[in-house]
Amino acid sequence: MPDDIPFSVDDRVRAARRAGMRGAGVVVLSYIPFGLAAGAAMGATSVPAWISIVSSPVIFAGAAQIAAVQLLHVGAGLALVVFTVAVINARHLLYSAALAPHLADWTAPQRLWAAFLLADPIYALVAARYDGPDGGGSDREKRAFYFGAGFVCLVGWTSLLAAGIVVGAFIPEWVPFELAIPLTFLLLTLPLVRNSAGLVAAAVAGIVATLAHSLPTGVGLMVGAVAGVIAGVVTLNLTDRRGAEPGDA
Amino acid sequence: MLELLAVILGGVVTFISRAIFLVSKKLRPPKRAERYLPLVGPAVLAAIAVPGILAPRGEVNLVDTIPAVIAAVVTWLVWRWTKQIAIGLLAGLLLWWGILAVLVLGFGVVR
Repeated sequence: MPDDIPFSVDDRVRAARRAGMRGAGVVVLSYIPFGLAAGAAMGATSVPAWISIVSSPVIFAGAAQIAAVQLLHVGAGLALVVFTVAVINARHLLYSAALAPHLADWTAPQRLWAAFLLADPIYALVAARYDGPDGGGSDREKRAFYFGAGFVCLVGWTSLLAAGIVVGAFIPEWVPFELAIPLTFLLLTLPLVRNSAGLVAAAVAGIVATLAHSLPTGVGLMVGAVAGVIAGVVTLNLTDRRGAEPGDA
Repeated sequence: MLELLAVILGGVVTFISRAIFLVSKKLRPPKRAERYLPLVGPAVLAAIAVPGILAPRGEVNLVDTIPAVIAAVVTWLVWRWTKQIAIGLLAGLLLWWGILAVLVLGFGVVR
């Protein structure tokens, strides 16, 4: 850190907090249509509105929340709902592992709060900041950025979804809405497909899940997902071998 | 209160997946998991999305499937072009409503 910066430590911490809140504010703005549509779709289910709203601060992961509410709507059992949420959110293991070195000197409660807020956009914002030239600054600045961003995302996402549920109640019965959730999930899938293995995993999972549609609720989903992951793993190993990637024996 | 319990337990498992490597300084993910975990997202999300597109109302048939597939392809194209999830969703939904309106009002298809 150069010490000719004319700002005090507190100024820098405040600036970091503002930067985090600003970054998260942009994310929340870009989530408006998705949040409203997801809220409207959740509001159209038989699950009580307040439970859908509570799912935001409790689960704090859009795709898992929609899937959970949708599964409860069609009468899935407790174990299946929780298992589906766990599988959809397994990617957070990676975020957790990736951020661990940056948070190593934080206290245990600070790391637990950070974990609670570690949704996709928070990870994206924080990872970009901490990988920057100054590494996100001092630990206090890093925390100010993290919790500023997390707080805005948590409040913004919860409000958007709640607003969507309220607005959705005014959508007349005859307006078809059943494609909103599948299209939303398609759009959540696309950015995650980064290579041919990801594409194969998604395609196989989708087709098998459709074929297994008549199985009990959610079981078809799991059968499809497992088939997709297996196909993706096979593809990954085939393409790696062809590309002769070193290591990982 | 099965629904509330499901949401709370869903929150617990989500929290564990976010906290596990932040809390323990010794625990590191196995190399293999690090390689294969990125495949879980596309597989699970596609397993939710695709049946809803091919069979929007529970079964594959021309009247339901074709408009939904067209809307999905356009959603994908618009997303590829703009990289905006919101615009993709809006474009797909509007096109789908347009096709349904033509089918129902123009051709008298009963849905």
